[in-house]
Amino acid sequence: MAEITLNNVRKSYGTVEAIKGVSLDIADGEFVVLVGPSGCGKSTLLRMIAGLEGITGGDILIGSRRVNDVEPAERDIAMVFQNYALYPHMTVRQNLAYGLKNRNTPPAEIERRIAETSKTLEIAQYLDRKPRQLSGGQRQRVAMGRAIVREPAAFLFDEPLSNLDAKLRGQMRIEIKRLQRALGTTSVYVTHDQMEAMTLADRLVVVNAGRIEQVGTPLELYEKPATTFVATFIGSPSMNLLEGTDTSSGWSLSADVPRPEGRYMLGVRPEDLHLAPPDGRPFAFQATAHIDGIELVGAESLLHGRLADGTPLVFRVSGRSRSEIGDEVTVGASADALHMFDADGRRHA
Amino acid sequence: MIENRPISTLVSHLVLVIGILVVALPIYYTFIASTHTSIEIVRPPMSLLPGSALVENYGEAIGGGVERVVGVSLERLLFNSTVVALAIAIGKIAISFLSAFAIVFFRFPLKMLFFWMIFVTLMLPVEVRILPTYKVIVDLGMIDTYAGLTLPLMASATATFLFRQFFLTIPGELVEAARIDNAGPFRFMRDILLPLSATNIAALFVILFIYGWTQYLWPLLVTNDAKMNTIVIGLKRMVDFADASTPWNYVMVTAILAIIPPIVVVVLMQRWFVKGLVETEK
Repeated sequence: MAEITLNNVRKSYGTVEAIKGVSLDIADGEFVVLVGPSGCGKSTLLRMIAGLEGITGGDILIGSRRVNDVEPAERDIAMVFQNYALYPHMTVRQNLAYGLKNRNTPPAEIERRIAETSKTLEIAQYLDRKPRQLSGGQRQRVAMGRAIVREPAAFLFDEPLSNLDAKLRGQMRIEIKRLQRALGTTSVYVTHDQMEAMTLADRLVVVNAGRIEQVGTPLELYEKPATTFVATFIGSPSMNLLEGTDTSSGWSLSADVPRPEGRYMLGVRPEDLHLAPPDGRPFAFQATAHIDGIELVGAESLLHGRLADGTPLVFRVSGRSRSEIGDEVTVGASADALHMFDADGRRHA
Repeated sequence: MIENRPISTLVSHLVLVIGILVVALPIYYTFIASTHTSIEIVRPPMSLLPGSALVENYGEAIGGGVERVVGVSLERLLFNSTVVALAIAIGKIAISFLSAFAIVFFRFPLKMLFFWMIFVTLMLPVEVRILPTYKVIVDLGMIDTYAGLTLPLMASATATFLFRQFFLTIPGELVEAARIDNAGPFRFMRDILLPLSATNIAALFVILFIYGWTQYLWPLLVTNDAKMNTIVIGLKRMVDFADASTPWNYVMVTAILAIIPPIVVVVLMQRWFVKGLVETEK
């Protein structure tokens, strides 16, 4: 059990700065997810916490101990890798035992922990198999088991589910969350999948270009994105962003909605756009779009349209859409569903 | 092949059979010769069927016949060859494994220089550097020793590269997982790298054992005492014997016995050998 603190952490490769000063406090027992597009530095950040990458500047503390120069094995962390990284020549049992054996854990204790872990993860019947005799999902469990069996201060997950198929990924997601709650171990999880991030995280950290864009609970980030980057990254399909001067064509905003001076960006989520006001009050925002694509995704339809000036606009209707491609549709949103950003992409109050 | 074409099956089998005959006939002929008396061997045409002297030839050759001709017993020659071949194979594997381990998994100053130095030795086989190497071995007093017979043949760029190529295919995540599992460099080598390289090592062992067994020039140069001769040199000296007529029946027996150990190694290690050259299991 431990809290993890990053203090203005930096990482440079030669002249290229990959991590540009990141500060983050992770509470004991918290599940924090680092999410961002590929190449944003989230994996580098995780590997710096693990000790697999050196640190150019700043401090990393695990359980109030400064670990900048501590070997990965002595940081009391366990890591689950994307490709599982199981030792191919060892049985599942040996895979689980290896880290403990190397720490001179007594054999009886190793045996006890393996029994316990394999029961929790339901891998007891595979203990004497080699990794290549297991399916992807089973390997994933063993990789988790190798982390759990160590009873470390923190778990680090590096996109552990990205090699599984969609169905299995959904199951494992729930299971990881359940396990982490039961064990209460501090966890840092890296993913590029915002769905995974939203469902797993106690707190989400959106990383972009080596910097933290925003930290908050999934709901906070969804409801109050601090920047246009977070706004478009969180939520699927992503938020519509319209560039606003007051004379923009194709949409209108009622005068009583507060907005930044001069140029601004207006964001509205596809699910907040309606064909008719749900509460009968007139829309604060209204846009007329030319429908050029319809996606039926079961319970709802996604309509892709374009405004008069060509800006794309996506919105959602439940069930099957009555509109067809080529139709002109007017949709609107109430004032509290609108997100205002100033010209450099920061949220306006 | 999924298709079943009798003609092509026949042709391919025919080609294989011819191939086997071409390779096997000289060996068969040697064996046949080893069952005839020396008088029968030198009187043409020699029969292609086994003669009557099998038991006597082998019995006499092993029981002192060879010793009378070249001054060293057949067993001693076989023993010397085995020691030399094993030492070269094991020594080469150990050195190459360690140097590839250093080159792939460690950062150290002048790493590329060392890498290229190993590479350059490919251009300097024993035959090219034979005079300086001989001088060094003489100065070290290693003439007529097993060390002198094997040490100069041990460094191997080829095996180093084979291991290097294999190590480069080991995923970085595996190395990192081992680091987190508190496996230092030595543990990593012993517990992970070595078992994963087992098939490669087996394949190399076969190749290098035979390389060591068939060495000719270097053992010829570095042994003066007949007691330190390898079987290849012993065989050559039996044929050399100028004063009397060559005891061809003993020569043939020795030749047959000289073939057996490499064959045993190949047969025993065949499965691993193929695996090591073909398989990439990770």
